[in-house]
Amino acid sequence: MGLFETAAAKALASSGVFLFMTVLLIAAAKRTSTCIGLFSVQSLVITAQIVAASRMHHLAEGFVIAAMVLTVKVVAIPYALYRIVEELKAPRDVSSSTSSSQSVFIAAGLILLSFFAVRPYIGVLGGDQAMLAASVALVLTGGFLMISRKKALMQVVGLLVLDNGIFLAALTTTFGMPLVIEIGIVFDLLMGVFLMGLFVFRIRDTFNHVDVSKLRRLRG
Amino acid sequence: MKLAINTVQILLLLLLAPLVRGVIARLKARIQNRHGASVWRPYADLLKLFRKEDLVPDSASFVFRLAPIVLFTSTLVAAAFVPLLHGSALLDATGDFVLLVYLLALGRFFLMLGAMDGGSSFGGMGASREALVSTLAEAPFLLALVSVAIAARSNSIAGMVRWTLVQDFFQFSAVHALAFAALALVAIAETGRVPVDNPTTHLELTMIHEAMVLEYSGPSLALIEWASAIKLTVIMALLIALFVPWGAASSLSAMAIGIASLVLLVKIAALVLTLALVESSVAKLRMYLVPDFLGVASALAILAVVFTALMR
Repeated sequence: MGLFETAAAKALASSGVFLFMTVLLIAAAKRTSTCIGLFSVQSLVITAQIVAASRMHHLAEGFVIAAMVLTVKVVAIPYALYRIVEELKAPRDVSSSTSSSQSVFIAAGLILLSFFAVRPYIGVLGGDQAMLAASVALVLTGGFLMISRKKALMQVVGLLVLDNGIFLAALTTTFGMPLVIEIGIVFDLLMGVFLMGLFVFRIRDTFNHVDVSKLRRLRG
Repeated sequence: MKLAINTVQILLLLLLAPLVRGVIARLKARIQNRHGASVWRPYADLLKLFRKEDLVPDSASFVFRLAPIVLFTSTLVAAAFVPLLHGSALLDATGDFVLLVYLLALGRFFLMLGAMDGGSSFGGMGASREALVSTLAEAPFLLALVSVAIAARSNSIAGMVRWTLVQDFFQFSAVHALAFAALALVAIAETGRVPVDNPTTHLELTMIHEAMVLEYSGPSLALIEWASAIKLTVIMALLIALFVPWGAASSLSAMAIGIASLVLLVKIAALVLTLALVESSVAKLRMYLVPDFLGVASALAILAVVFTALMR
């Protein structure tokens, strides 16, 4: 086995740990910009995983998907979000409704929950338990971030984390969807982020803040 | 031979601890665009303090004089549990990791007693804050070590190191990643470094350690300062020994020990640089946010312990 194959196998075996760490760090982070940076790191781990998986299974189109994820999720979206944070000139904290230690406790609980949730399906779906659990944990914490963070921008970050989870689930169970669909999803996401960025600006201009907990006028 | 090397390990910790502090101070100064004092300054400070008179407040009892001695000896004994150059330490067989944690706690306890015995209001304030921080730091410290102990199936620090040495370098286990994160946060709180306490502050509103040693002078102060320098180095060495011990000598030949010393030096230098960078880029937390900071450490440590069951 060559050096690259060894490295790829190791990356696959231990990237679940890195994903859990990014999840916990995003839960603990106090600033929006830190969360965006951590999302970028998380996408980088997933990119490494795609490269490793496609190398091990000799899938040429895997490298295309990896390059696409790298440009969109690791570089383009985090850069766009950073720009939005700078342009907004809003306070930099995530203004969470739970304290950061409570968030970490909850994220830890969600990770455990996802381990138990995937346990019955390991035999059916194949794939590594830690990796499958990581994908479920990403979906759950993405949802948790969207619920608990009051900043409109953190809803976007939560959605992106959630999407990373879905992407990872597809990758671990079926080695990814067909290339066309992947391209569609990634560009959908890109458009979604730009639209939501526009909405954040609209919220700011209309209400002079980006706190979604204060947007109550439309409530029935 | 083994005994000699283990004794040398302790002496190294004892003698190099002030240098570690000096290097951190110098690096921080450089990062902040100041020239900074010489790296040997902590030695000069200690020498100066040892030659000075020991002033004791009129209201103080014998505890005030006893506290620095207990602090120094308990820290030194704790140092004897941490393997540096190879997978064994001087007091290897006499105690487990729980003893290590509580030896450090014993020193803290006596320092708090001494601070309150000094009779100044700052001493009491510093002691109460120290009590808060150490109570909250104790659980994650112990739990993180427990998780590593369960993974290694050994309850002595040296046993855990010997187990880690034969593991695969590239295989990151979730238990170790989580325990490392928890211990790194605890280490900051235990040694009183920046987000929790500022070792260079003299502002009454924020200081913890400085407030406690305000009444001390002369040799007593020297012992306290030396002990806290040793504690910083011991906890650094503990982090290295538990999580990245690779490079430590596997045999007792002079060659292996020499290489191990060099590797250890590089690892400590890397840790010192990280600490200086973190301290220069992070603002000190408000006192009321410290429980939150240590709560994060507790969550990570609990998760680490649970993962020992999941990962089997």
